[in-house]
Amino acid sequence: MAPIELFIELTLMPLIAFIVGMMMVLMMRRIAARIQRRIGPPFFQPLYDIVKLHGKRTQVSHGLIHDIGIVMAMGGYIAAETLLPVPGMNGIAEKGGLITLLYLMMIPSLGLALGVGQCANPNGSIGIARALTAMLAYDIPLVIVIFGVAYAAGTTNLVEIIATQQAGGFATWGVVEMPLLAIAGLIAMHASLGKQPFEIYIAPAEIATGPMVEMSGKYLGGLFVMQCFQLYTTSVLYVSLFLGGGTTWFDFLIKSFLVLAIPVSIAYLFPRYRTEDLLRLMWKWPVILGLIGLAFVM
Amino acid sequence: MVMSRLQKIPVVEEKKGNPLARVFDDLVRFCRSRSLFILHYCTGCGAIELPPAMTSRFDMERLGIQPMVSPRQADILLITGYVSIKTLKRVILTYEQMGSPKYVVGICSCTVNGGMYWQSYATAKKLDEYMPVDLYIAGCMPRPEAVISGLQKLMDRIKNGEADSWQDYYRNYDYYLGNQQKLFGEDWQTPTDIITEAKHYELMGEGTLGQHTRLLEQHQQPLEALEMRLGHKLKEPVE
Repeated sequence: MAPIELFIELTLMPLIAFIVGMMMVLMMRRIAARIQRRIGPPFFQPLYDIVKLHGKRTQVSHGLIHDIGIVMAMGGYIAAETLLPVPGMNGIAEKGGLITLLYLMMIPSLGLALGVGQCANPNGSIGIARALTAMLAYDIPLVIVIFGVAYAAGTTNLVEIIATQQAGGFATWGVVEMPLLAIAGLIAMHASLGKQPFEIYIAPAEIATGPMVEMSGKYLGGLFVMQCFQLYTTSVLYVSLFLGGGTTWFDFLIKSFLVLAIPVSIAYLFPRYRTEDLLRLMWKWPVILGLIGLAFVM
Repeated sequence: MVMSRLQKIPVVEEKKGNPLARVFDDLVRFCRSRSLFILHYCTGCGAIELPPAMTSRFDMERLGIQPMVSPRQADILLITGYVSIKTLKRVILTYEQMGSPKYVVGICSCTVNGGMYWQSYATAKKLDEYMPVDLYIAGCMPRPEAVISGLQKLMDRIKNGEADSWQDYYRNYDYYLGNQQKLFGEDWQTPTDIITEAKHYELMGEGTLGQHTRLLEQHQQPLEALEMRLGHKLKEPVE
């Protein structure tokens, strides 16, 4: 591939991810509104929020690590986007593979931990401790699921996994071949989004939005951008692993929005678990489902 | 006579030049008006009118207004009801921590002139003596429709660039500090250093410094970082 072509792809992929991610945030807020019998925000609301937060006059920084932490939180996801193949663009997905992607998806939590640590706010510290505990909880089923898919496909190359599923049609999709792994993956994905039954680290009523408590202006804006990337990355990874990716942009977007709609619709019906309950739940049911699914694959 | 007066009115000529020069400012102003995070400081009975305004009956999120939980994230400080002297200290601490541009909305007649607590010794009567207030929504209590139409008025003012009374707190800090000192005593000090902030954001006005800020400087203690530790250890008695 020509270097200029690669450069264009590496620029376009995070940009598209950001735009699609903003629409996913909009969809999430609209679903929440419909469930609560409200109308919901206007179409450009996520954009208004991000522009306004970056346009604040006062930008309170708590130090160098605070700045770097936010950049890490966004940068981890931006790097992850270049490893996620979309229709027509592969970026560096063939060279990276699933394991690198899994590593890159952990960086935002660690960056957030660094940034929040310097704020010295007790609510933030509690929040980030819970966020890292939650990561420990959902990463074990997630790793089992990803290992299972990679074992069944015989490769960790995401482009090949998608190509195999597309070549064989619907019958070879991951969700048909490995239904147990797909269910376990859906639960792990829901937990990694940090939405309601698993919303232990935001918890506005208890620890005042945890990691976000001291963030203002562009720092909070950076976290809003990070949320767009987070929704996009999680749903596109699931679509690539189990739903055969996308041959065209149309079915690719439909699939990823539908996949995201499942956890989001469940989320606004529930209160949330305590930390130890989340850990027990995540280490029990998705892990059992994942291990049985893994046994079928082997 | 009238004509001569009319001629003295200064005419501000529109700046000619690149018509796209202000596009970015206009965009930011528009986005500010369409995305307002409110921090509701619910002190009195007016708080009861906010849940219907936010939830399914009137749904503030249509206008881009949504509640936030910490002062750092918020744009609007919504004070719904009487402020006692003890409460006012917390309100001022909260207000000073918010990021500019910030707006204060006083709901109910208690924030306007003390309302039914006019004769009370323990309440602060007029909120705008202690911090610049952008908008009052009078009533006892105002209905959710009134709250929403008031906030829409604030949105229009933000869009037109008129809602800049947050600058007034920096420009006339001496006046506000004087009123605060009258209530809380002369050793009143907040963790936020307003004068340094005013210098940093170039918002120093004629009223920033004065006799009250001189009083503050006499006893002001510099901020120190909090000690990071786990658990409390009682001091051992010195023999």
